[in-house]
Amino acid sequence: MLQYILKRLWHTVYVIIGISMISFFFIHLSGDPVLLMLPGDASDQEIEELREQLGFNDPLYVQYVRFASKAIRGDFGESLYYHVPVMELVIERLPASLELAVAAMVFALVLAVPIGIISAVRRGSMLDMGSMLGALLGLSMPHFWLGIMLMLLFSVHLGWLPTSGRGTMAHLIMPAVSLGLSLMAMFARLTRSVMLEVLSLDYIRTARAKGLREEIVISKHALKNALIPLVTVAGMQFGFLIGGTVIIETVFAWPGLGRLVIQAIFSRDYPLVQAIVFVLSLLFVGMNLLVDILYVYLDPQISYSEEK
Amino acid sequence: MNTRATESPGFRQAVESLVPRIRLTLETAREVVRRPSALAGGILLLLILMASVSFPVLYHTDPLAQDLLARFTPPVWQSGGTWSHLLGTDNLGRDVLSRLLYGSRVSLLVGFTAVFVAELVGIVLGLISGYYGGKTDSFIMRIADIFMAYPFMLLTISVIAVLGPSILNLILVLGISDWVTYARTIRGSVLSLKRKEFVEASRAIGTHNIIIIIRHILPNVISPLLVLGTLRVANIIIWESGLSYLGMGAPPPMPTWGRMLAEGRVYIGDAWWLVTLPGLAIMFTILSINLLGDGLRDALDPRLINV
Amino acid sequence: MKKTYLLILAALMLICLFASPGVARDADTLIVVQESEPVGLDLMRSSLQNTMSVCYNIHDTLFFPQQDASIKPALAEKWEKLDDMTWKITLRKGITFHNGEPLNAKAVKFSLDRVFDPEIKCNHKGKLAAFKEIKVLDELSFEIKTARPFAPGLYMLGIYLPIVPPDYIKKVGNTKYNTNPVGCGPYKLAKWVRGESVILERYENYYGPKPYYRKVVFKTVPEATSRVAALLTGEVDVVSGIAVHQRKNILESGKAYLTSQMGVMPYLGINTYEPPFDDVRVRQAVNYAINRELINKALFNGKAILCNGPISPRTFGHAPDLKPYPFDPAKAKALIKEAGYPNGIEVRLAYPTYMSQIQEQAEAIAANLAEAGIKAKLEPFERAVMWQRYKGKKHQLFVYWWDDAPEPDRYMYSLFNSKSRDYYYKNETIDVLLDLGRTIIDRTERAKVYNEIDRILYKDSPWAYLYVIPEVFGVSNKVFYEGDRDGFLNMRWAKPKN
Repeated sequence: MLQYILKRLWHTVYVIIGISMISFFFIHLSGDPVLLMLPGDASDQEIEELREQLGFNDPLYVQYVRFASKAIRGDFGESLYYHVPVMELVIERLPASLELAVAAMVFALVLAVPIGIISAVRRGSMLDMGSMLGALLGLSMPHFWLGIMLMLLFSVHLGWLPTSGRGTMAHLIMPAVSLGLSLMAMFARLTRSVMLEVLSLDYIRTARAKGLREEIVISKHALKNALIPLVTVAGMQFGFLIGGTVIIETVFAWPGLGRLVIQAIFSRDYPLVQAIVFVLSLLFVGMNLLVDILYVYLDPQISYSEEK
Repeated sequence: MNTRATESPGFRQAVESLVPRIRLTLETAREVVRRPSALAGGILLLLILMASVSFPVLYHTDPLAQDLLARFTPPVWQSGGTWSHLLGTDNLGRDVLSRLLYGSRVSLLVGFTAVFVAELVGIVLGLISGYYGGKTDSFIMRIADIFMAYPFMLLTISVIAVLGPSILNLILVLGISDWVTYARTIRGSVLSLKRKEFVEASRAIGTHNIIIIIRHILPNVISPLLVLGTLRVANIIIWESGLSYLGMGAPPPMPTWGRMLAEGRVYIGDAWWLVTLPGLAIMFTILSINLLGDGLRDALDPRLINV
Repeated sequence: MKKTYLLILAALMLICLFASPGVARDADTLIVVQESEPVGLDLMRSSLQNTMSVCYNIHDTLFFPQQDASIKPALAEKWEKLDDMTWKITLRKGITFHNGEPLNAKAVKFSLDRVFDPEIKCNHKGKLAAFKEIKVLDELSFEIKTARPFAPGLYMLGIYLPIVPPDYIKKVGNTKYNTNPVGCGPYKLAKWVRGESVILERYENYYGPKPYYRKVVFKTVPEATSRVAALLTGEVDVVSGIAVHQRKNILESGKAYLTSQMGVMPYLGINTYEPPFDDVRVRQAVNYAINRELINKALFNGKAILCNGPISPRTFGHAPDLKPYPFDPAKAKALIKEAGYPNGIEVRLAYPTYMSQIQEQAEAIAANLAEAGIKAKLEPFERAVMWQRYKGKKHQLFVYWWDDAPEPDRYMYSLFNSKSRDYYYKNETIDVLLDLGRTIIDRTERAKVYNEIDRILYKDSPWAYLYVIPEVFGVSNKVFYEGDRDGFLNMRWAKPKN
């Protein structure tokens, strides 16, 4: 077990390094922030001076080494746009992104699991077909379009919810639902199919034959097995979620990392982009690691016994 | 699985090996058609494809023609609507219906082509990785991990920031960012197939590796790939519209659904159709693809986990 | 198990339904909403509109600039011209910064020096470049010298030189000052939650007229629709960045009104160095090809003011005898043919994507040009790339804009003098005239010079002149706020409407 964790930690390290190299490469290739930092009538000489001063004239690998050696010590530099240490900015915005991702995930799971279970148990019924069609619809909607539609209905026309920003629970609802709906659809379908599989296994039949109440059969045996793939997928999706809140944050003016990073890319704010990419990928990889470890824990407890 | 292919390749054998595959394809198609949801999806998709291909013939309005005085005409069923603009006009007086039809081309083109590119890259890398194993495998899988962990939107936005927005760049970027799932799937199949007898037999008689890959392994991994690909087209179309929404998609004046959403968003309070209709178009297109994909998956391999 | 589950679900939904947006707020708090949040709070370190808006509540300058480019006393109490290049200025007594530090002549000198400090990279350096030095005379008075006579000098000081506390800055450093500023304006910073809001509190020891509202909160809402919705529900009081088509919603709602002073002047820049636009006839053709009236009517509800030259019709110095170029695509075609392009021309039209409504205008203009035989390929660029290419002289036709400022030198010099930028146009006569315009002190004489500049540029057409779009703010019916030509949200003038 320990060996496994160590191996995975090493995996984390090289992934993060790889990502930081790729993003460094791209953001530097995409253009020069110096022009944006100086006023419109700055002379060519001033521009050149600033470039020199910030070290942008050195070859890319030199610049990368300079960045990496400071980053290892936790110093990601100062934002070229805000003139504030980058990590400060990231830490300021991180809770907002996490809040949104967690809310979306909770919304998705809380609704998806029972829907999936009921659909599986009552397979073929109107409820089943209806909810699966609904799930498919949910998967087919662009989430940012859903967000705009929700805003149109609940804020602009009905006035029930605030249009944007972060603050109370009411502010969280629309962004979380927009993000979470397709997740919920995915989880519902997954739960249903896994439940279907598990419910048809022999040992479940055995439990039923023994005369155990249906509910216990479902909750104790079937559900536990269904948890495994659900946890795996949920964990992975959470990682994607953290990095994918960009557009929703734009639509709802949610003060998270997504909006910050878009702005940083548009202003070619290299240090800020690097820091955000670092944090987001760290979260993703960390989440995966967690899920894998959890998986290993869950696994030995479940015993499949098929009579074949 | 036909064992005849292990004999020395000849034209007759090649043709003979084709027949069961055609039969398999036909069977699959029949399975798909049997399911009503998949059938519905398939028909819808067909309709959409037909409309997008043939619309210049059927519906003459130019998607680029501006008519500033006819801005914000609502759809025909609302008061103020006219029959000459069935679905209304946008902020520059351009006909929404023709823009939707024109935009379908971009979305579908980008969707299918990007998946094609992604599958190509994924297949090649996955095959190599699974078949050759060892250091090559580890190396490729590590690259895959890096691509997976890189927040997708950020990767695509960064690359477009470098390359500039255009349809070609969009396809490239979306395709190259998405290859990992295919590669992993193929690799998994390859790993399990590698040990099967007929492959060992092929190797034993000295058949070249590449021929083994193409002749034996590839046909058996096509079906999960097909299913995966179909379902991913949906994702790609959503991502393309997201990128267009952020201003990084195909440049104007070419209408794409994503950009229509972005442009319409500004007028959301006054011209609801500018935002609702493109979104519905995206949704129904993706719905049809998903229905079809689900049907395919059920027909080909019902044991693939449902995601 | 199912039952508990359903109960939890129901409880969650109930909580959600009853969670209402916080509506209760104090009567002496003013909530202002902008499209983007301030980048920093040090006025010297940013030239972004939304940042400067917030800063002007915290920082004060020597003079209050007026709508007609004159000045009124602010921190400065009186001033006298010693000669064409020297002014003696005396500050008011008893002014303090928010932390109690006294405001004196030394602070003014420190502030001017700070503008030119290379570490600060002050964006407004160029506007104050004429000032050579400050000589402190005593506690409250000083002499300020320019290198050459500079007519708009005091006006520029009134806008671009915030007076900052030397001791405080020396203590905390420039980086910290950007997030924790201390100024001498009517409001001081109470709290800044980045990404959410900037909370300002009235500074009770302010020397000037005390603002009515005790607290001002600047919030950020990037979505235009959300901003207007927030205004109409009463969530906020003042909103900037109202798009044209939303104006009637606000007016019809009965809950808010519009105020407009500032204008934005978009223009179509032309690369005059390369064919086909090196020929003045082709450039004029562009001017004849654009149907300004129709664009005004359709895109701006007729509220835009057509431009008849580079100087805004609302600014002194614009030549009143000039009329906007008429819409004449036939003439445009003829001019192009005469210039040697009988089959029309194909050009590229670049525009930045980060400002709303620019794309719309670019597309409308491109359609106009097409009718005159000028086939324009649209090239949208994001901000960084657009600017980079601009400086790299890569554009052929491009859409940019400028603020409709009351002082012509502010933008004419920056845009047309080849010392400042010569990427697409260079005209030595104009250079001489612009230099002259800023050195003549007498306003009538200055106006004549600018009239001449206006006429020359009208004929030479280095730009296609478009229009001035008045930018509006939405203001709740409970608040009285007029706004000023600069468009900065200076909330010191806001008060309740009764």
